[in-house]
Amino acid sequence: MTAQATTDARAAQEKPLLAVEDVDVVLGRGWRANRVLSGVNLKIWPGEIVGLVGETGSGKTTLARTVVGLVRPRRGRVVFGETVVSGLRRGALRRERRRGHVQLVFQDPLRSLDPDLTVAQIVGEGLAIRGGIGAEEMRARVEDALAKVGLDATLLSRTSGQISGGQRQRVSIARALATDPELLLCDEPVSALDASNRNYVLRLLGELRDSLGLPIVIISHDLSSLAGIADRVVVLYRGRIVEDGPVGQVFSAPRHPYTALLMASAPSVKHDRPLDVHQLRRTAADPEPPTAANACVFAARCPFAVSECAEQPALETVGEGWTSACRRHQEWPALASVRRSNPTLA
Amino acid sequence: MTGNPPPDEVLGIEDLYITVHDGAATAVRGISLSVHTGEIVGLVGESGSGKTLTCRAALGVLPKGCGIEQGTISFERQDVTHLSPRGWERLHGTGIGAVFQDPSSYLNPSLTVGSQVAEVLRVKQKMGRRAAHAKTLELFTAVGLHHPELVFHQIPAELSGGMLQRVMIAIAISCEPRLIIADEATTALDVTIQAEIIELLKDLRDQRGLAVLFVSHDLAVIRELCDRVVVFYAGEVVESGPVAEIIERPRHPYTQALLRVASVGDYQRRELEVIAGQPPRVGAEITGCRFAERCPAAIAACRAAAINLSRLSPGHQARCVRVNDPELAGVIEAEMAAR
Repeated sequence: MTAQATTDARAAQEKPLLAVEDVDVVLGRGWRANRVLSGVNLKIWPGEIVGLVGETGSGKTTLARTVVGLVRPRRGRVVFGETVVSGLRRGALRRERRRGHVQLVFQDPLRSLDPDLTVAQIVGEGLAIRGGIGAEEMRARVEDALAKVGLDATLLSRTSGQISGGQRQRVSIARALATDPELLLCDEPVSALDASNRNYVLRLLGELRDSLGLPIVIISHDLSSLAGIADRVVVLYRGRIVEDGPVGQVFSAPRHPYTALLMASAPSVKHDRPLDVHQLRRTAADPEPPTAANACVFAARCPFAVSECAEQPALETVGEGWTSACRRHQEWPALASVRRSNPTLA
Repeated sequence: MTGNPPPDEVLGIEDLYITVHDGAATAVRGISLSVHTGEIVGLVGESGSGKTLTCRAALGVLPKGCGIEQGTISFERQDVTHLSPRGWERLHGTGIGAVFQDPSSYLNPSLTVGSQVAEVLRVKQKMGRRAAHAKTLELFTAVGLHHPELVFHQIPAELSGGMLQRVMIAIAISCEPRLIIADEATTALDVTIQAEIIELLKDLRDQRGLAVLFVSHDLAVIRELCDRVVVFYAGEVVESGPVAEIIERPRHPYTQALLRVASVGDYQRRELEVIAGQPPRVGAEITGCRFAERCPAAIAACRAAAINLSRLSPGHQARCVRVNDPELAGVIEAEMAAR
């Protein structure tokens, strides 16, 4: 399915599969309380692949945990299909989780898989917890899930230590697929893999979306790997969404300076970047950024911050299906291109 | 730097063979490489290709069950292959510094980072408490940590991954080594931090004439940082040479494959390429080219006999029988298109 098809689906159904509405998450209590997400709005439409990017501590993982009901938001709500996940308590929440409508795939497959369990046990675990099926059907569904990720049944009796890193991540995906989820959340699925395995797993996720129509959220700190597969990219910075838009447009002309900084920082084998990191980093020569408590989250690192950035801007529409939370989204690209590319050389 | 100017070659590895599992298998076969003053050399290859073992041998910290079967390792032209543990201890820090992937696991979580850097200075350099404190602050500034006095009194949990990696680099350069060995030192970091650490290593090289051996599985990172690159495949060097030349015109089919799967960084939607097949098991006995099984251009000659590195230009060599075959590029292109 292409971006166009996603738009069609959107028009036809008018109803997102998942809606995160104005969510605030605070972890810890008292003096330890730490606001991890602020006013996050995110909709996932059927059949789309969304890349969620941001650095360590930006709240990517907390957002994923909030979606599956492992973290309860302080404010706002999470609606999955017809269910208000954030409103469920105890037994109802447990039942919802066990249904496995939303599945999480974690970063490091070696650490997220039990070393004593065989591949068959790992993949079947979700089904076993949900219960209600016999051993026959269980085995059939486990083999089916493995086939979907391109692994054959000879691996069933191996433990996670006896298979390669790439295979392990595929087993994690098979485990998630076994319960026929409606949404797959992958938390850094490729950052522990080498380039070839990374591309293999990403391609696999793309194929799963095409063949099963499964919407997938891929959490990553690496933008370049998302370019080849995602339809939409959502950029998170310190708990706020700062940019959200179609992958082609965002990557060709980002409208938030943080997105541009991420793109300029990513290593590449070619060297023709539109903007250099030095053009996007603050230097001592830049005016002091506003320090107000509700200043733009990126102001302290932003070379283009001015006094009007003393108040956090809301996401503003900058194109079709494209929003950016920067007051100067029209001005900064021109300002950046005239900055010196490497100040130490001057 | 003090004393006599150091000899040009800082690290030299000649025809190194490393066995694993108490000699049951040979994981590194006939590696030769050198790192010179002011040079950053990258080692690239898949996991299990022997890059980390080579690094650990060069640091004198091979894990249990691994041993050097053959070959020599020299540091500043002194043979250190069979150095005693005490000899290595003298070299660590003052001669060779090391930085690894996960900085938080190398620091004591309950001591301040400043005291851990100062401790190294007091033990290795016999510095007094005050001198070590001052030197630590100086090092923190050198590695780009803001507010060094504040950082000195913080514990590892209070610092971010990028700051911890800077602390590790401060420890590595604290006793003014001539060589830094960095094993996947930026792999676990965010891209913005990774870019900063890469710049820091380049600055240290420029300012202190450091030699750096940098290991990574990502050719794109190597491209950003290194002057020369050594490509490992299944325990052998398959290609080595200047980075710019190898990125521009890779000669070994494996290097070409690595380049196809690396991040191009133009953010265009394209078919994501993979290298088909799996690398051979560690220690597998293979006649001829170890990459032949996965190579789109393999012919009978590839599996007939051992293949030597061919010199292609000064400092650029590749281990491939078809390296000078004008049809090689065409064959690979046709094979890739057919897949």
